[in-house]
Amino acid sequence: MERHDTVQLETQCRPLPRIARLPFSIVLVLPAQLIMLLVVVVPTLIVVWLSLTDWQPTDNIPWFKAEFSWFWNFYDLLPDERFVGAVLRTLFVVALCVSTELVLAVALALLFLDEWPWRKVAVSVIILPMMVVPVDAANAFFMLFNDHGPINQLLSLVLDRPVEYAWLADPHWALLPIIFAEVWQWTPLMFLLVLTAFLNVPRNQWRAALGLGATPAQAFFRVVLPLSLPVMLVAVLIRAIETFKIFDVIYILTRGGPGATTESISMYMYNGAFVYFRMGYVAAAALLVLFVVVSVCLALFKPLQKHYE
Amino acid sequence: MSNRNSTRAPRIPKVLHRVAVVAAMVIAFFPVFWLLSTSFKPYEEWASSPPHWLPKKPTLQNYRIVFAPEAARRFAATQAGSLDYKVSGSAWAAFGTSAVVATAATLLSVVAGTLAAHSISRFRIGGDSFAFQFLSVRMFPPIAVVVPMVVLFSMLRLTDTHLGLILAYTAFTLPFSIWMIRSFIEEIPVDLEGVAQVHGMSQVEAFLKVTLPLIRGGVLATALFVFILNWSEFLFALTLTSGHVVTVTLQVANYVSASSGKLYGVQAAMGTISTIPVIVFGFLIQSHLVRGLTFGAVKE
Repeated sequence: MERHDTVQLETQCRPLPRIARLPFSIVLVLPAQLIMLLVVVVPTLIVVWLSLTDWQPTDNIPWFKAEFSWFWNFYDLLPDERFVGAVLRTLFVVALCVSTELVLAVALALLFLDEWPWRKVAVSVIILPMMVVPVDAANAFFMLFNDHGPINQLLSLVLDRPVEYAWLADPHWALLPIIFAEVWQWTPLMFLLVLTAFLNVPRNQWRAALGLGATPAQAFFRVVLPLSLPVMLVAVLIRAIETFKIFDVIYILTRGGPGATTESISMYMYNGAFVYFRMGYVAAAALLVLFVVVSVCLALFKPLQKHYE
Repeated sequence: MSNRNSTRAPRIPKVLHRVAVVAAMVIAFFPVFWLLSTSFKPYEEWASSPPHWLPKKPTLQNYRIVFAPEAARRFAATQAGSLDYKVSGSAWAAFGTSAVVATAATLLSVVAGTLAAHSISRFRIGGDSFAFQFLSVRMFPPIAVVVPMVVLFSMLRLTDTHLGLILAYTAFTLPFSIWMIRSFIEEIPVDLEGVAQVHGMSQVEAFLKVTLPLIRGGVLATALFVFILNWSEFLFALTLTSGHVVTVTLQVANYVSASSGKLYGVQAAMGTISTIPVIVFGFLIQSHLVRGLTFGAVKE
């Protein structure tokens, strides 16, 4: 059809501007592609250049005139404890958050399989957290985990002694409020996805399993769970990718501190570029992360691609 | 087996079920409640010990500081004051900036996204890798391209301008627009467009007059979804501006004073107001949230 229409377009109106002589399908994607070129592709090329230099904006020379240090940035980066620490911490946060979210979401979804009065209202309240602007959610958690905040107040009630613990100032525990905020905000998304998956399992299959003598638990684990696995996989993948980028919450709660004990990869790069102004070094880190993330994702997205067809 | 209850879930005692649901609702609502409650607390109660769950002397002072420059200036002269110069005025400017930037970026993203989605789903342009190219934008941490973007934007004089933020937001929401709208387009049989063309419509007309009206609801949902993302964005607003262009999220983070740290009450007031549009839009498109957040892969 495509070729036919191009021909038609060209014969109908004689003197065509050059752009109209491009196939219609290409004209359609031009705006999107141009924006991508300006905002993503060109910056990526600049990152490659910067990563080979030692450029700092404080040098007072433009970036393209900076002296090349070739691969020294990468050489320095791999044994850099702060960078490696940020990478490992980010992976830890991703693993912990996503698995907690999944378990909570499955448990919650099980409560919502049947119809009961006020069910819709309950769903609306439970998905409220994902609608809150992340920066505001982070501020709320800052207040909750304040040394005079309600979390400490509840703890004092339970432990029966005054607790005025400064969570965010403790290098060992500062990550906890961050993880709480992240899990609180994004469990609802996981819940919605898991619930959709469960409800999409044809009812006949539940009935058949139960009719053949399976207990409800057996029917759930042998029939429903396997059938909803693809959607749950997509959910886990998407949450893992999003959590890997974690920035807003950490910026508001700790800015990576105390010391560098809560620095994620994004926070590390932010501090490197906008606090220490080591642009070349950060560019090298960025390139490394870009390369690893995009190749891992392309490999992992094969299942998602199949899901489409 | 006729009872619906028994065919669905592993049976849970009714009381336990209700208790679990209520507990989940309380946990989901509590931080929002705390934000709301703090926004009405006077300065003395922001971090009082023990904390008050409800304001003892409810006040609108925090909201006045957010909206009335007079009140903000008066507050800046008090013990908690010494406000950051960026936020000593009112927040109207921030709301204006966010509204302009988020709306413009949403329009650009949805229009460019609709065109591209049409090309991808009807002409299969570039095979699968073309569509995946856009998706890759959502995969890596955006901070990885922020550093070169700062460099590039300062060369193009886009730093600290509305246009710069609009372009950044457009690029980073394009994957949602393209993939979400694509999933709506693919629900419409391609034959409809074929028939229209047989009846003498051009390709453009067939798309604009046949397919587009049918996916109108989906495009609107996509637009609201993208608007929410733009409105809540923080990282680009933080790094691509330097004081002139201040978005809502930036304004919230800026309510910090040199002498008493974060201004809880003011942050809570600003946070409450800035979250309201997002919650309204979010519930408007509740049935499309799943599709949006999974790039059209999962439908409800």
